[in-house]
Amino acid sequence: MSSAPQGTHSLAFRVMRLCKPSFHVDPPFRLDLADLCVGEDVFDDPLAAANLPPLLSTQLSKSTDSSDLTYGNRFLLHHPSDAMGFSGLLLLPQSFGAIYLGETFCSYISINNNSNFEVRDIIIKAEIQTERQRILLLDTTKSPVESIRAGGRYDFIVEHDVKELGAHTLICTALYVDNDGERKYLPQFFKFAVANPLSVRTKVRTVKETTYLEACIENHTKTNLYMDQVEFEPAPHWSATVLKADELHPADNSSTREVFKAPILIRSGGGIHNYLYQLKLASPDSAQMKVEGTNILGKLQITWRTNLGEPGRLQTQQILGTPISRKEIELQILEIPSLINLDKSFLVHLNLTNHTDRELGPFEVWLSQNSVHGEKNVVINGFQTMVLPQVGAFGSSDFHLNLIATKLGVQKISGITVSDTREKKTFDPLADVEIFVESD
Amino acid sequence: MDEPSPTTDPLTNQFGSLNDLAHDLASLQDLAMRGSWRSILDQVSRARSLALLSNPHDHLIYLSYNVLALTKLRRFTDASADLDSLHDFSSNHYKYESYPQLYPSRSGSMVPFSLRFIHAQLPFKLGNRQQGLDRFYLLLSFIRQKIEQKGSNSFQESAKIWRKRENFVLHCLIGHHLGAKEFNVCLDLIRDLIDHDYLDPVLISKLGYIQMQVGDIVGAKGSFHRVEAMLNEGYSSLSEVEFRNLVNRNKALVYLVGKDYVSAVREYEECIERDHTDVVAVNNKALCLMYLRDLSDSIKVLENSLERVPTVALNETLVINLCSMYELAYVNHSETKRTLSNWIGRVAPDDFDASCTRV
Repeated sequence: MSSAPQGTHSLAFRVMRLCKPSFHVDPPFRLDLADLCVGEDVFDDPLAAANLPPLLSTQLSKSTDSSDLTYGNRFLLHHPSDAMGFSGLLLLPQSFGAIYLGETFCSYISINNNSNFEVRDIIIKAEIQTERQRILLLDTTKSPVESIRAGGRYDFIVEHDVKELGAHTLICTALYVDNDGERKYLPQFFKFAVANPLSVRTKVRTVKETTYLEACIENHTKTNLYMDQVEFEPAPHWSATVLKADELHPADNSSTREVFKAPILIRSGGGIHNYLYQLKLASPDSAQMKVEGTNILGKLQITWRTNLGEPGRLQTQQILGTPISRKEIELQILEIPSLINLDKSFLVHLNLTNHTDRELGPFEVWLSQNSVHGEKNVVINGFQTMVLPQVGAFGSSDFHLNLIATKLGVQKISGITVSDTREKKTFDPLADVEIFVESD
Repeated sequence: MDEPSPTTDPLTNQFGSLNDLAHDLASLQDLAMRGSWRSILDQVSRARSLALLSNPHDHLIYLSYNVLALTKLRRFTDASADLDSLHDFSSNHYKYESYPQLYPSRSGSMVPFSLRFIHAQLPFKLGNRQQGLDRFYLLLSFIRQKIEQKGSNSFQESAKIWRKRENFVLHCLIGHHLGAKEFNVCLDLIRDLIDHDYLDPVLISKLGYIQMQVGDIVGAKGSFHRVEAMLNEGYSSLSEVEFRNLVNRNKALVYLVGKDYVSAVREYEECIERDHTDVVAVNNKALCLMYLRDLSDSIKVLENSLERVPTVALNETLVINLCSMYELAYVNHSETKRTLSNWIGRVAPDDFDASCTRV
């Protein structure tokens, strides 16, 4: 990982990646004295039950008496939880380990003078070189370290938020004056690679006016990820709510409920967790947005923690929604009479909207004949084609269509179609609408 | 060697001293306390070859020390073979009632429970984790049957001991699941323990450490607050010093996670002031100093503890930390580490894993 300097130098850099320490866990071979020196059922014997415990506890107190220098604690339990082998002793990082995008790289750097002479006027620099840039982490040019005595050290800690993938090099350099007055330059390199900690797959579904965004987060690291926050930051015009399943343990006893809040942990090496967001357009009058044709929904802000709360943070790129159908002309039913009688004409209130920035029309409205349902039981009363005047840019016009039903019961108004007579363009027919036809 | 309890007649007391429990048990126990596990192997083999073990229970108790000594010396295959010599723990050979002339008033198993525990724990060391887990869960259900039995026969002391063993095995399981980062299982097991009214400040603190390890800082703080509340309620399973140190160490961890190492050091110093043998506080204080860029002092803290309280401070984790610090601090660290390693060779117990110095 590190490359050795050329020539002979009085100074040398030593580096340790300083991520959070970890707890040492190893269930030990430690036990209760009563489990070692008597039979397991001996306490059934009333004489033993009365006399053994005092004997054993005198023995045990010897092992825990700190004035008596014994190693009793290495095989006898002092407290029941000793059996876990989780004493709370912290262990320094034992290897460089993996480093991921969104984490903070922290390193202890020690510059040692391993010669027998003092060195002076040391200018130390620490930089990170990525494929795209070089970032200065430490520079003592303005106030050089005056001297490091023989066998002495100068220590510093650097930190860098990792924002790029791929090869990184920590470059440590020292410019110093040697014992014989010679100016020397010591560069040392420590290479490491930054990997992607997780991947996010999204699915977008639109149901009527609501858009659902499903995000599947997959953990590619070697540690479990505790998901701190996975927040959807909606684009303007959108509002987002996260949808969560009901609590998994609704019948939990309240004393443990206080202690436990089931954490969202994504298992190392390919574990996944799904998040579901409900998105709604903030303003129903979103004509402006539809025209602009933007279908950006927003982005996810993901923060996680690992060992001892070591944080990581990533932001996704903009997530796109289903392309918004850029209808130029939209036909909507505003009202249908609640009572419709057989063979009596009735008026359906309709609205035609022009979503473009230019004037369209004149239009014709009719009932298309190529119905898949066969015979039509609701037809236009009178002229089979209705003519509508032009509609201005972003304008709309209300009109009434005179219909008549020819059969009783549940019937469909189907195939209301509009076409632009000037542009010779026919738009998709309106979706079928059911009505109930009564007799007089 | 011990004062007999005043209510029993010293002439007929079978429980006056360790030597009343098995042949020359006091000396075996003494060797174990000093960590002289190799001498235990010698003493057991001598006793066996000189036919000094006259009763069946002597054999079993010597076996339990022998197996423990082998595991302590990391001779796991030998320990396993030694255990296998018993064949079946529930055989009639190992029942008090099979020898009515020797044990007129006793019945039940004379197998020391430690053998069952080591039997379950060994596979983990032999690279067969699944078998180890299976054995522990079987052991747990075996213990629960025993508790039921003892309860229905109103053997109160016995039931108490078996409940303690249940608790012990649950703690072992938590440790093993924790080692494999199966955090949700750990949390479930701890929840079980708490649900069974086993509300213990040390256990709740460990819950907090697990939460911290997972990254759930808010959860960990909640657990630590709960421990502090227990201190104010006058909870008594710990001595006051132990309890106060526990609370200080918990606070220190919260500071440490928040990168406030100065405050963490202050908390640890309070612990050390109260009890200079609090090796967790000593070790963790040294780490905090290192994160404060004070490598020299962090080395001093660990070296001083080894000098002043070697029997408590000398543990593998602390030595690994010290060696990591040496490697960073000295270009010629192998020399320094060798000095440490030689010193360890002189004072350490037989079971000390000398590989932790990486010499």
